[in-house]
Amino acid sequence: MNAVFAMANDRLRALEDVEKEIALVLQSAGTIVLELSKEKANASLLDRQLNQFQTSINRVESELSAQIRYLTQVATGQPHEGSTYSARKDCQMALNRSEYARVKLGELGRTCEIMLDPQT
Amino acid sequence: MATQRVLPQSKETLLQNYNKRLKDDIRSILDNFTEIIKTAKVEEETQVSRATQAEQDHYEMHVRAANIVRAGESLMKLVSDLKQFLILNDFPSVNEAISLRNQQLRTLQEECDKKLISLRDEIAIDLYELEEEYYSSSCGQWDGVELPLCEAFHRQDSWGSPEMTSDPSRANPEDSDNLGSQESMQRHLNSHGSSTNPPLEFHSAFDWTTSPLSFWQN
Repeated sequence: MNAVFAMANDRLRALEDVEKEIALVLQSAGTIVLELSKEKANASLLDRQLNQFQTSINRVESELSAQIRYLTQVATGQPHEGSTYSARKDCQMALNRSEYARVKLGELGRTCEIMLDPQT
Repeated sequence: MATQRVLPQSKETLLQNYNKRLKDDIRSILDNFTEIIKTAKVEEETQVSRATQAEQDHYEMHVRAANIVRAGESLMKLVSDLKQFLILNDFPSVNEAISLRNQQLRTLQEECDKKLISLRDEIAIDLYELEEEYYSSSCGQWDGVELPLCEAFHRQDSWGSPEMTSDPSRANPEDSDNLGSQESMQRHLNSHGSSTNPPLEFHSAFDWTTSPLSFWQN
């Protein structure tokens, strides 16, 4: 089932990664301010967090711009009219046929049991 | 893809709005963060007292930090809107998903039907063997006439009662008609000669426990 929506999931997964990046941006900004508030700030930590901040914010901007560009290309403004209803209905009828056969064979089996039972 | 596509005004406006929101939020985060870092610098000379300046800087940092958080939340909302827009308007992926789903459902349906057909064939073979056994046994016959299976099943109840005998004159005329109509259908299954032995109990004619149908009882 996951494979069915793999293509759509890729873009949605990319957007979820963007959400995590936004959280990273805020987190690294907060860490930098917290470190600066100390008397003796750790320079290496500041550098690392600053690089993280810049990387994350650039990644957020580029990814969201790419998504908007892609949507500009593929959006038609019309509603999608595709449907899986007919295939689902056919499959449902096939499953009903199987279930019916199973029920009938179950009844046949119970009839055989009744006939085999010497007490009846 | 090189040709310029003409989008409906609402969609184009919406996408432009998304772009603007993205640019504004990123700009807000960067500017406010830069200003916080600048404000954090301790200046030797201030126009007001140190305490006042510190209080002002403290308030300014609070406001800018709140702006950064607001811009971050606005970006999250933008991502949510983009996800929704993508689900509704990304036709290539929607078409792909629909075709794959149809293919899955069709495969499942064909598998079900194939199994039902093979089951039907197996049961037909078993039924043939059962009918062979039944019509070659004595319980499949009544005074030299081949009984259909249903008739023998009905007569099974009457074998236990004392008033019933094997007198052929007591045969029900309707049964004879039924026998005649079904005799041609059943005769091809019985290659053995008729027997005049008294009819046996139906259930003891063959061993039901070893019938292939017994697996359905589990």
